Amino acid sequence: MMTPDDKPLRYNEGGNVHMDFHGATDTTIDFIIKNYGIDVMDQIFARVGHDVYADIRSHLLAGNVGELVKHWHHFFEREGAEFHINVETDEVILTVSHCTAYAHVKKIAGKVSDHFCDQTIKTNHALAQGTPFAIDTEITGPGSCRQIIRRRP
Amino acid sequence: MIPSDHFTKFYNEVFKFLETQGDDALHAYWLEISKNQERHTLELFREKGLEGMRQYWDHIRVEENCDLDLDLNNDRLELRMNACPSLGKVMDNDAEPMARYCDHCAGWIGPIMDKLGYHLVYDVIDRQKPQCVMRVFKDVKLAQEAEGQAKLLMGWPGKTGKDTAD
Repeated sequence: MMTPDDKPLRYNEGGNVHMDFHGATDTTIDFIIKNYGIDVMDQIFARVGHDVYADIRSHLLAGNVGELVKHWHHFFEREGAEFHINVETDEVILTVSHCTAYAHVKKIAGKVSDHFCDQTIKTNHALAQGTPFAIDTEITGPGSCRQIIRRRP
Repeated sequence: MIPSDHFTKFYNEVFKFLETQGDDALHAYWLEISKNQERHTLELFREKGLEGMRQYWDHIRVEENCDLDLDLNNDRLELRMNACPSLGKVMDNDAEPMARYCDHCAGWIGPIMDKLGYHLVYDVIDRQKPQCVMRVFKDVKLAQEAEGQAKLLMGWPGKTGKDTAD
């Protein structure tokens, strides 16, 4: 399930982080849903999962979750989130206890879209679609969640 | 979470969908983003004018890891983007870039400048290269002179550019 390698991620940003982009994501989600409906928003997230993250998806298709776990480590670290990744024999669990994306939107906008976490739920779903794995995203509270990768039966 | 580092790749997917709905759909979205950006810019620009704009884009230069030069004068602010990380990330992408990705920048900045009575001249130069020059003028005549020298002048909702066809 996990095949570690030393290669850098396909997208491996460094430097500073512009958290205000999360505010634009929040605005975008509400705009698309209001004007085109939630199915269109889901289709856009599906393209992110399928096309933007094609490299992570190719690793999942090959039976390797290591690239996605490396992606989680890299970007949750960069964003200063409180998180923990537990790698078991049959599953990988990412527990996010403080999502800084959610917190930042709350701080700058006062409220967060009811569909803000769809970016995680739907993109994860698209990443896993057609691969040997399922990725389930459980929202456990405002700005907290569990993301679980399991091999499909 | 789509990381903030990958927002521009998400943005690119949104643009590609909206482009299928027509220019009015893109313009409506840029206006929505412009309203979103007002929370970061409007009071600063209103209170400090061109100096406030310099402060904002200097903050962007640092946070977004931009290679850009800012030149503040009494009558204008000039921003010269030498390496735009936004277009750069969209081009370094396993998903296809939207051909008019660059247009969004004037699309959200222009309406804010209109609201405040400044005159934006946004020269994208070439949509395939992550470089551009943005000038903001107090005086409309100086802006009109600069427009005549632009290679690829961007418009925004309410203002037509010199090249909006391709």
